[in-house]
Amino acid sequence: MAALKKDAMIALAENAVTSAQKKGAADAEAYVYDGQSISIGLERGQITKSSLVVDRGLGIRVTINKAVGFAYTNVLEKQTAVEEAIVKALSAAKASKPDPDWHGLPEKKPFSSVENTYDPKIADLHAEDLVNITSTMLDAAVKGDKRVLAIEGGAGSGFGSTAIANSNGISVFDTGTVIECSVATVAKEGNTVTPVCFEFNAARNYAVDPEWVGREAARLAVSALKTKRIETQTTKLILTQFALQELLYFTLVNAVKADNVQRSQSPFKGKIGEKVASDNLTIHDDGLLAGGLRTSIFDAEGSPKQKTPVIEKGVLRNFLYDYYSAQKDGVESTGNALRAGYLSTPGVETTNFHVTPGIKSADELMAEVDEGLIIYYLQGAHSSNPVSGEFSVVATPAWKIKKGEIVHCSRGVMLAGNIFEVLKNVNVIASNDRQMGQLVSPWILVENVRVIGK
Amino acid sequence: MFVKDILVKSLTEAQRLGAEYAEARAESLFKTMLTLKEGRVEAAKQGMENGVALRVLVNGAWGFASVGSLDAETLTEAVSEACRMAKAASERLKNPIELAKAPVVEDRVRKKPKKNPADISMEDKIKTALAVNKNTMSYDRRVKSCTVDYLDLTGTNTFANSEGSYVEQDKLYVWSRMTASAEQKGVFTFSREEIGSTAGYELFDQETPEALGEKLAKRATEQLAAKQPKGGMFPVVLGPNVVGVFVHEAFGHLAEADLALSGGVLAGNMGKKIGSDQVTFYDDGTIPGAFGSFKYDDEGVRTQKTLLIKDGVVTGLMHNRETAEKFNAEPTGNARAEDFRVEPIIRMRCTFMAPQDQSFEELLEGVKFGYYFKSFRGGQANVDGTFQVGIQEGYEIVNGEVREPVRNASISGNTLETLLKVDAVGKDFELDSGRCGKGQTAFICDGGPHARVKEVTVGGSA
Repeated sequence: MAALKKDAMIALAENAVTSAQKKGAADAEAYVYDGQSISIGLERGQITKSSLVVDRGLGIRVTINKAVGFAYTNVLEKQTAVEEAIVKALSAAKASKPDPDWHGLPEKKPFSSVENTYDPKIADLHAEDLVNITSTMLDAAVKGDKRVLAIEGGAGSGFGSTAIANSNGISVFDTGTVIECSVATVAKEGNTVTPVCFEFNAARNYAVDPEWVGREAARLAVSALKTKRIETQTTKLILTQFALQELLYFTLVNAVKADNVQRSQSPFKGKIGEKVASDNLTIHDDGLLAGGLRTSIFDAEGSPKQKTPVIEKGVLRNFLYDYYSAQKDGVESTGNALRAGYLSTPGVETTNFHVTPGIKSADELMAEVDEGLIIYYLQGAHSSNPVSGEFSVVATPAWKIKKGEIVHCSRGVMLAGNIFEVLKNVNVIASNDRQMGQLVSPWILVENVRVIGK
Repeated sequence: MFVKDILVKSLTEAQRLGAEYAEARAESLFKTMLTLKEGRVEAAKQGMENGVALRVLVNGAWGFASVGSLDAETLTEAVSEACRMAKAASERLKNPIELAKAPVVEDRVRKKPKKNPADISMEDKIKTALAVNKNTMSYDRRVKSCTVDYLDLTGTNTFANSEGSYVEQDKLYVWSRMTASAEQKGVFTFSREEIGSTAGYELFDQETPEALGEKLAKRATEQLAAKQPKGGMFPVVLGPNVVGVFVHEAFGHLAEADLALSGGVLAGNMGKKIGSDQVTFYDDGTIPGAFGSFKYDDEGVRTQKTLLIKDGVVTGLMHNRETAEKFNAEPTGNARAEDFRVEPIIRMRCTFMAPQDQSFEELLEGVKFGYYFKSFRGGQANVDGTFQVGIQEGYEIVNGEVREPVRNASISGNTLETLLKVDAVGKDFELDSGRCGKGQTAFICDGGPHARVKEVTVGGSA
């Protein structure tokens, strides 16, 4: 299906802003999105499905007397539908309450450039290309070992374009591509079924390795077959990116968002400049990271994205801001506004949350562990206490390391503690960084984690 | 052209292009959303969405296309693309997909809410949300924050398939999630409540802002003085809210036929006894007004009350038409799609444990040391039967009595082992509304009576 043109999207956004102002909006902002994605899916060892999703729409945010109203529509071909959305946004603002902390919309600012966020090859992909990627991945997963079952997965690709205009003169456009492939596996032997293991690749350029994804997902599933119970103990853990992403998303990531700090929902409130983690931990929120999954030139309200130091050598440096929370603290936005496309108003969110890698390889990190566990998948991280950082999760499964080698896996192992204590016990950071959701991180070795065996 | 004619035209085109089956689902949705933080209305939001989901079966493989348009030409283009992609996907297919028979239906399902959210003004909705906030924040000075999210969704869903079924259904959901945090001397606690209804805005007459605010704030402040639970194996008494999430997460997902087929532990256990005599679970889409209720699913199959496990014996799974064919079973009306952007998949509706005959006191009796877990924070499960449920409100049980509160506990175990350890089940019954994520979000309900489990792993840091 034909995509909307850049000029048409910008015109749509600008016209909506003008119309809202004419109808009485003090501030007005329009967010126009147009995206298409195709995917091929596999289920239980074979390719069974395909999908095309075309999604476009316009979200309009307005204020009247400092009260914010918002409306969206996905009917763009009719001007009446867009006008109706503008009227609804205004009526919502009228019904709402003034917000004394509202200080308007972002001003126009220069943007930095970004690399590797659009690949024309991805935009031109067809279902047949994705069938090939999925087949390669599936073969790599199940050909080597009969005990492996590829239960679901597939390949997908797409593009998304965004235009934002506001009543302060912002009028911007950006477009990007993404491609991904993933497979979930289990291994079966006799009556034993392993927990679901998972691997994936995701990239902005046409650079996925479906063969590696399949092979790795199979390797993990097979290695989860041999299980032994472990004792309740305090031990060393290697946290892979899967585990870190889960653990940090609901805790540390929340703690550095300025809106949570302002609402006393962060243990980091008032702790800028203080030591909050181990010396070897440095984290940037990098909205400009080359090829990052969350990289773009501007954020969801048209502010420039940037690279913001969050933790440097264990010291808390900055919180992350959108325009609203920045105005409240009298600082500049860090370009961390994110929204669920045209369907929502912006909120504070990380871009690429990048843990600075160390120098040791993953193998060298393993070799440092005389006795400990390596954790990939976690269950229940979303039930962590988002304010205090306390977690109580189950590893599905945990792999036991002895003298640098995986010796067996163990089911039902629970990990409990406080993520902020864990960050103080980061011992070694490896060099193998990769992106998972918003997190870009290598493996991390932590000490003194309470592990409850079964 | 009328919606029906447009949909039928696209189905005819699919058949001309070689589809053995085709369905079209048109949706027209209106949403109102609010987010309040400490009484500040972050934004009052309204949305309008129109779109069509087309699904075709060609050479035994699925093709799906979603477009945000009801334009006949756009749909023709989308359906031909879906057929083309399905052909490409079918190239290496060994076991073509077939669908179980489903009755051809023609029906119009109208909602008759006492209070239609579409008729309630934005001002009134804001007033209700503000009242929840006020009752929460003013309960105790240690309450530091309160977030209220509100959503109502109304509209119509029109389904047609190439077998001649045609169903128009009203959609109506009212939902709210409220969270509060409290702080004292560096201790942070967190509390949440979630309510929902498919009946109407009268939900707030049953769940009043006063009661909601108090429940939220009381839990958050009570936890400030709570201790950490001991880690290890303990007997537990679970409240209906935790029983519900256990039934949903630990058992329900395993009883979704697609997951059962994907190596799940239930597939090989049909007709076998895997739980104690006390264990009877249902998934029910017919409870009037419940948050997971509807008349027809998104494959046009009539919903039902499905018995999953009776007296510990596995009796059924939740099916769509595809898995029902594989299991040689009847479709159970569990195929649901969040909206027109996604395909229908097997989802739960209202999943619960059937009550038995014990009083709460009888359940506590004989527990020397254990935990009473009253309310959950979140839960998750894996196809191998490993489950985890985080607890937001829990207490120690000492010598058969509920004692001091504990915070940040969670329970984990293996479903099959745990079902055998359910040794006593209460006579009370409660349902809670929630949302379930499986790639898409579904509005669901779960619950049951109080129940006791002989032993389960309790995660704690003490």
